[in-house]
Amino acid sequence: MRASAAVEKLGVPTASLICDGFVGQATAIMPGLGVETIPIARIVGHVDGQSAEDLRRNIDEVTTPDVIRCLLEPAVSCAIAENFTNDTIVGSGNFDTINQLFLDRQWSDGLAIVPPSRDRVASFLEHTDDDPDRIIGVLQPAGSSATVKNVAINGVMANCRPEYMPVLIAIAEVLCDPAYGVEHSGDTTGGDPLIILSGPVIEGLGFNCAGVALRDGYQANTSVGRFIRLYQRNVAGILPEGADKGTFGHTWRVVLAEHEMAARSIGWATFGEERGFGPSEDLVTIGRFTSGGGIGSIYGNDSQEIVRYLADGLVRHTSWEFIFTVGFARGTYRPLLVISPLVAKTLQIAGMSKDGLRTALYEHARLPAVKLERYIGHWTNLLPGGPSLGQLVADGTAAPHFAENDDPQRLVPIVENPEDILITVSGDPLRSNAYVFASNGMHGFPTSKKIRVRA
Amino acid sequence: MVDSQEFEALWPGGVSAIDVVAPAPRGDLKGKRIGFLWDDMFRGEEIFPMLRKSLSERFDDLDFVNYDAFGPIFGGEEHAVVAALPKRLEQLGVDAVVSGIGC
Repeated sequence: MRASAAVEKLGVPTASLICDGFVGQATAIMPGLGVETIPIARIVGHVDGQSAEDLRRNIDEVTTPDVIRCLLEPAVSCAIAENFTNDTIVGSGNFDTINQLFLDRQWSDGLAIVPPSRDRVASFLEHTDDDPDRIIGVLQPAGSSATVKNVAINGVMANCRPEYMPVLIAIAEVLCDPAYGVEHSGDTTGGDPLIILSGPVIEGLGFNCAGVALRDGYQANTSVGRFIRLYQRNVAGILPEGADKGTFGHTWRVVLAEHEMAARSIGWATFGEERGFGPSEDLVTIGRFTSGGGIGSIYGNDSQEIVRYLADGLVRHTSWEFIFTVGFARGTYRPLLVISPLVAKTLQIAGMSKDGLRTALYEHARLPAVKLERYIGHWTNLLPGGPSLGQLVADGTAAPHFAENDDPQRLVPIVENPEDILITVSGDPLRSNAYVFASNGMHGFPTSKKIRVRA
Repeated sequence: MVDSQEFEALWPGGVSAIDVVAPAPRGDLKGKRIGFLWDDMFRGEEIFPMLRKSLSERFDDLDFVNYDAFGPIFGGEEHAVVAALPKRLEQLGVDAVVSGIGC
């Protein structure tokens, strides 16, 4: 649809081929693409399950007449815009009345929201030097302005505390950064954003970085995690049955804060420092991760065996996402490994630096080339024609080391470079567990922004 | 018990930041050149040849420019390919575009 919009703006008519299940999303994202309407030609059902003969018949009998209609008949606009601003009072009443209104208008996620009254919003705005009307950027697919004020409104709704406001603004700044790719947040594979917090703000605002990390239960972690979902819903326009086409998703992910004291105590760079920020700087990093799972009960003190187990976890949680390593968006796969302070310390005592861990993970997190090829072009049709890694290297969409020889059983890495593996330390300091997240690559590419605390 | 405290709630959305234009004018297809744009997904390598055949059966003087003349409109190359479209469409004399596959 983005390409079709660009073409329509040039004065060239288009027909966009859209499967039945995507018509709603295609319609939902039109207003943000800057064209009143973009004509759609139906593709019956979903293409992946159709025989060649069924597909041919459907294209001939349904899609072709639709294409002709799209290219010949005047396109009729169906866009309806709400004529509100963030100073508009959209409802008044008691707690129940406001919550029912917000549910009815799809401004809520299904849980009760804190009514965003002027007073509460003002209390959030007191915690930033920013002009409330500052436009932080434009959020797709809705094409809406992210402003300091609508950050505050959604922060109130999510049950954040006013002092979280600088964190919330930094989150909005990530979402507005084209490098992050917020417009892909409704894709069918259902990756969800994870906010990773770094810096003194973790302790200062009471974010949990120890036991039960990644679980709801702490107001700071939970409410800020909820904020990003509400903000994407209300400002970016990523709504169920609309622009959100996630087949399966997760409840919002609570904020992951690094246990920086544990990292520093063993001489490891913090996650924030590895992102290029100073030890006293606060930052948020957001990436979209498609799935995750634990690496439990890591045993012993042999660093090489621990690395093999962690590397095994990285491999187990990656499958179709290899299209972000090779082919579709080369070199954008960024798996995240979260290790408990105890595991990190065990590795450090054995003489392993953080860079050494990363290099060792790169060497061990490998799988047979033929299996990677199955994931990207046989079990899925994400790379049409099922190209071999050799073919991808030849056309420049895979790094040369993915085709050092043509043995189908040769081991290839899950990422293009060692530094593509993100590592952070968090969780119960006295437990030997780890957690791994598979990355959604360039569609939610890990992006960091500094948190600017009020002077 | 019903909460008696009254609230006035602000709108949580975002004002549109996009200038919206009308879609391109439509005409006839006689003797036109149609460009195909593909996102490299969802069986486009089968669908576009089918479309080419079925459109040609209905309009005998159509001309086509295949998707490989433009590059993939999705994935790592999306931004560069879309940014290059104005020039490529003009160079290739394309009158109308069929784009896909959204699935």
